Amino acid sequence: MTSWNKLAPYMQRYTIRVLLFMASYMLILTSSLAFARGGTEHAQATLIGLALISALPIIGVFWAIFRLLVEIDDEYQRLLFAKQTLLATAFTLVTVTVWQFLAVYDVVTSGPEWMGAIWFAMLGVAGPFARWKA
Amino acid sequence: MKNRLKVLRAERDWNQQDLADALGVSRQSVNAIETGKYDPSLPLAFRIADLFALPIEAIFLRD
Repeated sequence: MTSWNKLAPYMQRYTIRVLLFMASYMLILTSSLAFARGGTEHAQATLIGLALISALPIIGVFWAIFRLLVEIDDEYQRLLFAKQTLLATAFTLVTVTVWQFLAVYDVVTSGPEWMGAIWFAMLGVAGPFARWKA
Repeated sequence: MKNRLKVLRAERDWNQQDLADALGVSRQSVNAIETGKYDPSLPLAFRIADLFALPIEAIFLRD
């Protein structure tokens, strides 16, 4: 608990939000997939509803990340995190652009997918770059 | 922008964490300001000036 207490309040709120959204994502995705693939036919509207419900927790994580940018009361840390999110966006755009052209030239069979997941991964990759010599 | 933060801090025998706690920012932020990597906003510059009871221009110097 000591390290938790050392975290700034805005980081505590961010961590709780992300954990709650990720826990609900696991629960919603597994139960929605089990329902959708349960062997019975479902109406298109039901499948659209399941897709939207499954997307909601991920949208929530995006909200938590951008809410963190608003709530960071240490201006230098906010600058570093803003740099990190911009770098993550740049890395993601580079990745999906290259992937897209690999699909255009039939090197891979499908174009960019799971861009949200790519962006989350790139947010992690961008951290050390944004904080290099900070 | 150059500043006298390190000297003023040393005169009071404060370490970076002491100053960070007094300003309500991280130690990394104090270090970035001291080393000139980051110029603080006006509100933070005023908080620093208030803490040392000095005018801003006595702490932050033109290049």
